[in-house]
Amino acid sequence: MAHKEITVTVNGVTSTRTVEPRTLLSDFLRHDLRLTGTHVGCEHGVCGSCTVLLDGAAVRACLVLAAQVDGHTVETVESLADEGRLCGAQRAVMEEHGLQCGFCTPGILMSMAAAERDEQTADEVVSTVLQGHVCRCTGYLGLRAAIERHFREREAAR
Amino acid sequence: MSERLIGASVPRLHDERLLRGDGHYVDDIDAIGALHVAFVRSPVAHGHVTRFDATAALRAGAALVLGPDDIARLTGPLPTIWRIPGQHLGEVELAAHTVRYVGQPIGLVVARDRASAEDAVELVEIEIDPLPQVIGIDAALADGAPLVYPEIGTNVAGEIHFGAPVEDVDKAVTDAPHVVERVFDVQRICHSPMEPHGLLAEWVPSVGSMTVWISTQVPHVVRTGVAAGLRLRADQVRVVAPDVGGAFGGKAVLSVDETLVCLAAKVVGGRVKWIEDRRENLTASYQGRGQRAHARLALDADGRFLALHTWIKGDLGAYPSQAGSGPFQVAGLTVEGPYRFELAAATVTAVYTNTVPTGAYRGYGMQESSWIRERLIDDAARELGLDPVELRLRNMISPRELPHTTHTFLTYDSGDYPEALRRAAELAGQRRKPSTGRIRRGVAVTSAVEVTGFAPSALLEMFAIDMAGWESARVRVNEDGTVTVFAGVISIGQGVETALAQIVAEQMGVPLDWVSVQLGDTATSPYSNLTSQASRSVTLAGGALMHAGERMRARMHALAAAHLGVAVEDVKLDGAVFRSSERETTWREVAHRGWMGWGRPDPDRIQLEEVVDFDPPAITFAHAAHGAAVAVDLDTGTVTVEDYWSVNDSGVLVNPRIADGQIVGGIAQGLGIALHEQVLFDDATGAPLTTTFADYHLPRSKDVPDVVVEHRVTPSAHNPGGFKGLGEGGTMLPPATVANAVANAVPEIAGSLTVTPLTPQRVWELLSDAGLAG
Repeated sequence: MAHKEITVTVNGVTSTRTVEPRTLLSDFLRHDLRLTGTHVGCEHGVCGSCTVLLDGAAVRACLVLAAQVDGHTVETVESLADEGRLCGAQRAVMEEHGLQCGFCTPGILMSMAAAERDEQTADEVVSTVLQGHVCRCTGYLGLRAAIERHFREREAAR
Repeated sequence: MSERLIGASVPRLHDERLLRGDGHYVDDIDAIGALHVAFVRSPVAHGHVTRFDATAALRAGAALVLGPDDIARLTGPLPTIWRIPGQHLGEVELAAHTVRYVGQPIGLVVARDRASAEDAVELVEIEIDPLPQVIGIDAALADGAPLVYPEIGTNVAGEIHFGAPVEDVDKAVTDAPHVVERVFDVQRICHSPMEPHGLLAEWVPSVGSMTVWISTQVPHVVRTGVAAGLRLRADQVRVVAPDVGGAFGGKAVLSVDETLVCLAAKVVGGRVKWIEDRRENLTASYQGRGQRAHARLALDADGRFLALHTWIKGDLGAYPSQAGSGPFQVAGLTVEGPYRFELAAATVTAVYTNTVPTGAYRGYGMQESSWIRERLIDDAARELGLDPVELRLRNMISPRELPHTTHTFLTYDSGDYPEALRRAAELAGQRRKPSTGRIRRGVAVTSAVEVTGFAPSALLEMFAIDMAGWESARVRVNEDGTVTVFAGVISIGQGVETALAQIVAEQMGVPLDWVSVQLGDTATSPYSNLTSQASRSVTLAGGALMHAGERMRARMHALAAAHLGVAVEDVKLDGAVFRSSERETTWREVAHRGWMGWGRPDPDRIQLEEVVDFDPPAITFAHAAHGAAVAVDLDTGTVTVEDYWSVNDSGVLVNPRIADGQIVGGIAQGLGIALHEQVLFDDATGAPLTTTFADYHLPRSKDVPDVVVEHRVTPSAHNPGGFKGLGEGGTMLPPATVANAVANAVPEIAGSLTVTPLTPQRVWELLSDAGLAG
């Protein structure tokens, strides 16, 4: 199979790699770049665990080919903490017990990050962010509380 | 003593790591150099494998291909754990010369990466002589049904009876003034942890050692199974459970697939990896539930429960998994719930079908028994014209009647079942919304008793369950004074490491951040057989740590007293400093002296370790009452759960926030059973129809209302912490509660609410039959 060379900026670091055309972005991030915080839950775009930001917008990394991100910018969960300090969304999820096994959590955090950039309101986000995610452990109550809290705090800080 | 830690909702110790994306699940382990497995799976539900030709796959570059003959030559069977009388299959064979379900592994391919392995699987040529298949319990028990095992002449795998003789129950039912009789189904469920199964196996030929990193609930059971399957000694196998991304009973045994990956590692003499994909998880992993029950409840004219009989037919699938018929047996054992019956009995028949085997799923028989009992009682109240809460209370075991032994010989220890039910009814009553137009609304409350802290070992022996009930834990004060806790239970996302650390810190009187918890490695963890399943981790490992922490506290104080030359009563731990009236020393110095072996009060005890084995005297029973308010759309058949309440008694709670998370998460899974989730097969071919998350509907955020959880605390007398389990309780009652609320909303279809999930289609059909649909 013909390989393809791609140059991509991931979490601020630009690198050039050779990939198979069929390589998924999720596998590229996890196995080529060893950024294992992006989790693969279903590989068919339903569960949302692999959500990352592509040029600032939330995408399912399992539905994007690595070859498609050539020349683009990708952000993963590993980019969220600021100089080692948890970001507001991460703190809110922890404080509201919005995670148990933690497998789906990185994807949800990335959807929260996308909603922040979209300037979504606290009233909007609770339904929009979790629309695209499956969590098998928490029953969502802690996640809803965390999302609402985080976006209310952002609104209050403006 | 500083502030109480047992009972404090402290943040979980591992959350920050998980939130950063620094979780360490099995697929995150650096597997450089590892080869990858893809399985050759059966495309048919039943047949003899007559050809398995790997020539083309090997020519295309596969590193290894194993077929049924290789597997038969190289492996032994896996032991089963819970059998049923009459069961002819006492072991799980790894080689499949005869396939019995679609998706059964026939062989495997090893290649440099997963994609190449999957490519090579396409090149393996197989031929299968098809045999007639049988899908579903009724089909399997029909006259002339195709036989999954022709050599035994029946699809019945075995049968067991619990409680009163069936003739006595029959007579009581015949003589009773009122009888409710129904057939209740519980669908098959796929556990669907967000992290599927997976493992990395490493065989080091020079030393003959196998290390298995695996997403599991039971590292020691995996070790036993891998050793048996690969004909190794237990001491050659080390099993490590890294972070586990959810389990729910689905990772409570070792599967054939997993064992074969270890075999591949042994044959190639290196590292081999397999991460289950979601299609495999939904179709070829052991499933949960799958039963049909013929149930009869007899009442007198006052609504007193005279007799209860359930005949449970459980779908084992193609062979008994290691857990086998266990869940169906528990359904039979627990069907009485929190009520008095003059007579009660359960008959359990395990049935073979040509589908993937079943086993443990959160709630383990107790959701199924609650479904039967609470639906029957609800229909009885309706037929007798009694208030369903009043009918329950009339027959409910009161606190002064405890301990109470059921007809199936379970002895309930403590709790106030009526108070919890009354409170749930009060909560539900306050929030009732009216029906509007084509939206009908209804409420219901239910009650259940939960087997938790599954033990003691002697009881399991009595029931011929090949499991150990005891748990062990070790507390070590390290040479710098930090504390390491080793326990046999493991973390599957439930937060048990935090709860165990809280127990130890409180018992020792040290800050929580001095304590770390090490779980899930057979090289360092105490032996544990059942580990983290059956709602037992805090109850049993926590029980062991109550003792171990207290003993270690006493030893540190004794060492400090000896060092200070004062009586132990004169030593107080104040922060990190031991003080007596005149002198002081640090906790760290005492730990250092301890490991140096200096000044020890007892010459024979040096290591600062305390190991406690805890085998409780009896099962401790948690209980709960649930309430639901639902809206039923008569035009679409859609059931919406608008409110949900849980009044739960799990004894002393170590971390109430974690407890709430377990209960709410369990309720969400229960709502999935009630309304959404079902594994479906094509009856004509046995092919699975629910192969993606687009077909298999897991509950989403919009499907789970803002559940209200209230706690009652009746401390257990069966362990030193007063703990009762709570991992499964949330899952037990939602299907019955939601169905009863639907019955309350639409009494015209009450008697037909016998099958879950109550999907819009199913409800609409019932509404249509009743002339109510649009």
